[in-house]
Amino acid sequence: MKILSKDKLESVLDKLSESAEVFVPLSRANSSGFYSWKNRNPEKERLMLDALNVYLSPKNVGFPQNEKMYSIIQSGPNAEIKETFEDSSPRIIFGLRACDARAIRCMDDVFLTRGYEDSFYKARRDNTVLIGNACYEPGPNCFCQGMGVDPVEPEVDIIIRDTGAQGYIWEAKTPKGEELTEGISSLLQEKELKAPELKAFPTQVDYSGVAEKLKGMFEHPIWEGLSSACQNCGICTYVCPSCHCFDIQVKTWGEEGYRFRCWDSCMYTEYTTEAGGGNPRSTTKERFRNRFLHKLEFFTERYGYPLCTGCGRCIVACPTGINIVNIINEVKEASVDV
Amino acid sequence: MSDKCSCEQPLVPTVVEVVDIKDETPDVKSFYCRLSEGGVPFNVAPGQCAMVSYLPVGEGMFSCTWQEEQEYLQFAIKKVGLLTDELHAIEVGQKLGVRGPYGNGFPVEECKGKDMLFIAGGIGLAPLRSFIKYCFKHREDYGKITIVYGSRSYADLCFKEELFNEWPAIKDTQVYVTIDNPEEGWDGHVGFVPAYVEEINPNPQGLIAVTCGPPIMIKFVLQSLEKMGYTDDQVITTLEMRMKCGIGKCGRCNIGSEYICLDGPVFTLAQLKQLPQEW
Repeated sequence: MKILSKDKLESVLDKLSESAEVFVPLSRANSSGFYSWKNRNPEKERLMLDALNVYLSPKNVGFPQNEKMYSIIQSGPNAEIKETFEDSSPRIIFGLRACDARAIRCMDDVFLTRGYEDSFYKARRDNTVLIGNACYEPGPNCFCQGMGVDPVEPEVDIIIRDTGAQGYIWEAKTPKGEELTEGISSLLQEKELKAPELKAFPTQVDYSGVAEKLKGMFEHPIWEGLSSACQNCGICTYVCPSCHCFDIQVKTWGEEGYRFRCWDSCMYTEYTTEAGGGNPRSTTKERFRNRFLHKLEFFTERYGYPLCTGCGRCIVACPTGINIVNIINEVKEASVDV
Repeated sequence: MSDKCSCEQPLVPTVVEVVDIKDETPDVKSFYCRLSEGGVPFNVAPGQCAMVSYLPVGEGMFSCTWQEEQEYLQFAIKKVGLLTDELHAIEVGQKLGVRGPYGNGFPVEECKGKDMLFIAGGIGLAPLRSFIKYCFKHREDYGKITIVYGSRSYADLCFKEELFNEWPAIKDTQVYVTIDNPEEGWDGHVGFVPAYVEEINPNPQGLIAVTCGPPIMIKFVLQSLEKMGYTDDQVITTLEMRMKCGIGKCGRCNIGSEYICLDGPVFTLAQLKQLPQEW
């Protein structure tokens, strides 16, 4: 089998960075996220392949928080679309975990299926290689397994498995992964190593039957209590690797300008406020209910699996202690009139 | 059956020119758009929508109230917010962006051979008009056509020429118009649309009812039709919510697991009853 020894790790990242932008988990300014290896500050920033989940998911790589779509010119009655900005530059996400890899599959289903391919997403996605880091020691807020994700088999092009001091087992899983592996084969070794055993999850979740049960719980009184602490800050949607809702806005100066899209949040009133003033989800309870039903019921009905990947980031980030694991458990325990 | 946007860049508009603008009411204007070189950028089936974009301001989803083949796209737009204020200020010759067509459209084929009852309130006539005009264009394919339409006042009635002159003159067609409150010079019906429909009481036998208007009107119309003996499969409505992408990706226009922009905007009452009551 192919092995990446730890003393060769930086050389591999340097080599990969010659032909692509390589995004790796890095500590940065008291936080952490997926940032460019080439542009890191080696004095201050640390590669965090040993951490489970960094604060920010790699969502930004395929679906930027702000993204220029096309430029416009309007001069009196004349108007034109000048240029579109699909970005097909090669990228590699190195070291993402199985939960984040599943979230990319969610995005792929949203942006690339059901009749329309989003050209902006597609340009980046077609030119992105995923190198996943298998998890063997789930953290206190990890519950990917309960959501149907296999932590040791991330859905990626190449899997690396940390065996400790000896290095990473390197497994190409797709033609894209094999091609990339060929380009760095001189930096890999041939050796037999054994992957560690997966340890037990401290947080247990049983999602089975939840989508079906929620179908009958839209009007259930449970939402009143569950949502009462929610401040509509939207942080859960920003840190979530699979939340994909967006807004399209315009910026202009003089006769020029551009349309851009940016992340939006279903937690905000404006998200569904119509021009005439109507809003089908005008209360916190309605917005909260829609978010969790989207994660746990609606997406499952549409695509066959939930829009929560069990990464646990929203549990850590919520300033008022709202916990999706508790919500799943409360739903399972709730009594429903049949 | 419906036309579908098949473009490579579904979120990027095509520039069209406004070739005519007509005042429908004090706050509704009709815009006729076509490519500068002539023709339309895409074909729209009755009930489908398009994103209309005043480039420096924004985009909004509007139902296409009619498309004269290869000639122009027509939108009837009410002045209610930022974008529509700007649109109401433009003049003929202005270039706009359009992208589409979006949504499923009305089941025009499945309705063939049926009597049709169209029930609209205010600007809600705009989407129904595409179906009404389609029926008139293929008059032999449809049975009796009954149109019930109401607005706040006489001035607020859209498409007056068609409503009072053209449509009532067409074979086997009844047009009933009502306004909310009595006013000088109006000797027609006064009252709300749902009650008027009950008063007219068209026999549900072999009929399809199609309704659109403010959400509150739609809800009462649906109740009235139920009371009058219409089954859930006989009743069709078209909905709207705030939209940004139009292609089922940006998230906001869902009712349960359905996106109005992609899976709708046209639903039967039977379909709506399967969804959460959140519209």
